[in-house]
Amino acid sequence: MNVVIEKVFPMPCSADTAWQFLQNIEGVGNCMPGAKITERVDDKNHKGTVSVKVGPASMSFRGNIEVREVDAATRTLHLIGTGSDVTGTSGASMDLVATVKDTGGTTCELVGKSEVGMTGKAAAFGGRVMNSVAEQILKQFAANFALQVEALQSQQVAPAPVQSEMNGLALAWAVVRDWWRGLFAGKSA
Amino acid sequence: MDATIDNKTVPSNEERLAKLEGMGCSRKRYEDPRFIQGKGNYVDDIKMPNMLVGVMVRSPYAHARIKSIDTSKALAHPGVYAVLTAEDLKPLKLHWMPTLAGDVQAVLADGKVVFQNQEVAFVVAEDRYIAADAAELVEVDYEPLAVLVDPLKAMAADAPTVRDDIKDKDVGAHGARKHPNHIFTWDIGDKDKTDRAFDNAEVTVKQDMIYQRVHPCPLETCGCVASFDKIRGDLLVYITSQAPHVVRTVVGMLSSIPESKIRIVSPDIGGGFGNKVGIYPGYVCAIVASIVLGRPVKWIESRTENLTTTAFARDYHMTGELAADKDGKIKALRVHVTADHGAFDACADPSKWPAGMFHVVTGSYDIPNAFVSVDGIYTNKCPGGVSYRCSFRVTEAVYLIERMVDVLAQKLGIDKAEIRFRNFLRKDQFPYQTALGLEYDSGDYEPALRKGLAALDYPALRAEQAARRADPDAATLMGIGICTFTEIVGAGPSKMCDILGIGMFDSCEIRVHPDGSAIARMGTISQGQGHQTTYAQIIASVAGIPASLITVEEGDTATAPYGLGTYGSRSTPVAGAAIARASHKIREKARKIAAHLLEVSPDDVEFDLDRFVVKGAPDQAKSIKEVAWAAYNNVPEGMEMGLEAVDYYDPPNFTFPFGTYICVVDVDRYSGETKIRRFYALDDCGTRINPMIIEGQIHGGLTEGFAVAMGQQLTYDDAGNVLGGTLMDYFLPTSMETPHWETDFTVTPSPHHPIGAKGVAESPHVGSIPCFTAAMVDAFAHLGVTHMNMPHNSFRVWQQSHALNLDQR
Repeated sequence: MNVVIEKVFPMPCSADTAWQFLQNIEGVGNCMPGAKITERVDDKNHKGTVSVKVGPASMSFRGNIEVREVDAATRTLHLIGTGSDVTGTSGASMDLVATVKDTGGTTCELVGKSEVGMTGKAAAFGGRVMNSVAEQILKQFAANFALQVEALQSQQVAPAPVQSEMNGLALAWAVVRDWWRGLFAGKSA
Repeated sequence: MDATIDNKTVPSNEERLAKLEGMGCSRKRYEDPRFIQGKGNYVDDIKMPNMLVGVMVRSPYAHARIKSIDTSKALAHPGVYAVLTAEDLKPLKLHWMPTLAGDVQAVLADGKVVFQNQEVAFVVAEDRYIAADAAELVEVDYEPLAVLVDPLKAMAADAPTVRDDIKDKDVGAHGARKHPNHIFTWDIGDKDKTDRAFDNAEVTVKQDMIYQRVHPCPLETCGCVASFDKIRGDLLVYITSQAPHVVRTVVGMLSSIPESKIRIVSPDIGGGFGNKVGIYPGYVCAIVASIVLGRPVKWIESRTENLTTTAFARDYHMTGELAADKDGKIKALRVHVTADHGAFDACADPSKWPAGMFHVVTGSYDIPNAFVSVDGIYTNKCPGGVSYRCSFRVTEAVYLIERMVDVLAQKLGIDKAEIRFRNFLRKDQFPYQTALGLEYDSGDYEPALRKGLAALDYPALRAEQAARRADPDAATLMGIGICTFTEIVGAGPSKMCDILGIGMFDSCEIRVHPDGSAIARMGTISQGQGHQTTYAQIIASVAGIPASLITVEEGDTATAPYGLGTYGSRSTPVAGAAIARASHKIREKARKIAAHLLEVSPDDVEFDLDRFVVKGAPDQAKSIKEVAWAAYNNVPEGMEMGLEAVDYYDPPNFTFPFGTYICVVDVDRYSGETKIRRFYALDDCGTRINPMIIEGQIHGGLTEGFAVAMGQQLTYDDAGNVLGGTLMDYFLPTSMETPHWETDFTVTPSPHHPIGAKGVAESPHVGSIPCFTAAMVDAFAHLGVTHMNMPHNSFRVWQQSHALNLDQR
């Protein structure tokens, strides 16, 4: 099961600052709710974990992140992540292209396009909510990212990312809330 | 009062018949008191001392190479006794096993996995919880490979190869293979004659259709308890099997243990519907684990394991063509099927028939020319292809021909009932040789359809439909579906049908005790059919022993005579015949004993319900009960003591039940929601043994037909993920969704069956599914729709409505 997610998030910093932070894989990884970069293998390869808990079901993915391309001219980063659930029941992959777009002065946009694939239990049980869940995860990611770049911009010590483990209940609530809103949002949904 | 004859107190015939509870009476099900009180004894109810429990480690990938398997953490887990992988089974040569279709299947994945949830390792532990926890500790390193999901793309040059183990074999169990993903091509019929009939036809029609992948989904999942006695060298296996003797033979082949030391017991079985015919890796692993550990090992599937790894049904991608004249008289039928068999060819068909009895596809119609070609294909999906409540691909065949007749009717503007009358086989054409080589035993189709049309006032329904169609404000569309099917059941004649070389006969052994009660054992096994009730009725009618005094036992290979089991509606046509013949043998021996007691010649004695009377002297009689007592102390000179009989019945032909089904639906054009307004089912199963059980069978079959047509589908995404693996996604109708059924019948006995019975359990499934589709399509037919693929759930029906702009107000 594959879903393609394209998102644009406005960032409260200059394009250069955002690009600088984007190249810090550990930093970026830790902005992902539930994710942690556990090991730097070399410049291009990292190891990490992602944990998610929804109700009684918890999944913990272990995997590799490979930096495929870093293009300073276009401020583009291409990452490939693959992993499997530690219980061996699910697999996941992500192909992400992130670009920082200058919108002038002290603001910019983070443009992300990712293709997320799921196999096994995660696809069977999570398939129908995958789009909504991915959207929530990305929203939290963008919020964390914004906090980090804001701090970087003002050279302050960055606050800790909001959550170290993805909070299933809050996530579920956000999914339901957005679905509910979507019902009344007319045809744009 | 017992049947002892004292002339002054002989009960009336009615009273004696009531006491016998023989064929034709609605005897209450003997099985029900234990089932409805929760006193059944299913495999998972069996608990043996020192029993361990096994759980499978399964693949999350549909297609991946296994780089390594690390079992050390699982083995270190407290309470774990063993973790089996393919490497452990290799020295025993048990990492692969033969399938019923002449292929091989990996017991535990050997080098790569080829479908999602495939068996990778088997963890044996103190209890199920420990085993499940430890299964999560088995670390498998996979390298995902490109996945083949669409069978229509399987033979492309660049298609991923599913089966590395046989990729270079250019001949399979059913002939030449033309691609690594090709299993077989099976042709039947006269191609040239059929092609010529098409070339010369006044009218031809062609329709593609998909019979989606579904699963029988019995309430009880599959499982077993294997117990090997190391001292005695005996293997005992309690198993959810529809064919325990076949399991014994296969286990003997695989393990080299002689069959005399293997005892297979199928206790109460909670529904099979084809799902419990095959041999599954879990059974093999439990048996191996028990032999290795010397302790009983239980393996029971979860619901998801059942839906996603044990045998599915259908997945036929079909193209049908009819050639006809302008009056709708059919001249020829041409069919091509791409059959998705999944990753291993584990179909449960008689060995010589890779597409089962699909060649019953000419249906109830006089079709002079026909040609069928079926391509079996490997994909990265679960293996299977069993007959879900049908006799070997008959459901697919009936679906195709019934759909095609409707398509032809629409093209010619002929009423869908009328076109059937124009093409029906006439009663005087039986026995009838079909263009595809079958000999139909008996049938009388026209009166059945007339009865159905009258019961529903068909002209009034069509008038109502015309008015509805003419009304632009009508919120609902109305559809009328007709299905006039012919089934083929009772596999089967050993000259045509075998499983692993064993002819598909069946058997019965009856022993009458001195007190006149009896025990009867058969090679079949009930999974809800009510054999303990109906089999006793056959014996009661033929041998005159009250059904209530007969114990019917099946499913234990230590006691039952060898039989091929229960599936494909074969119990009544095959075992039922063996029972009738064994009962007859009992009666004939009893006649001789009665004559001896009455001091007359056996020729002067006649059988009368439950006794023997001297011809012309009705006061001279001996009851069966008296004869049974005499069989153990006073038999004619030269006769062996005792009163028992054995019969192995090899049927001369299949039986061909038929029926007329009519369905009326109302479809909400805005939401796609469908209401089954009426469903009329007329079945002709020949001689009727127990009308109440027949009605129950028909209700069950119709409900499962409704499930398939309206909601069931095992969906796979592009990555080979099963998306229908839970009852959250897989439709299982309850009384809330199930429509009201109206049943009816005619009786056309089978001429070659000892009691004229044909079998009934599958007709309602086979016949109802095309009937639902016919009704759904008929609702849209006036707008040019000729076919809609199942399942007809609201969303898919709405899509049809939306495509025609019918959902706009």
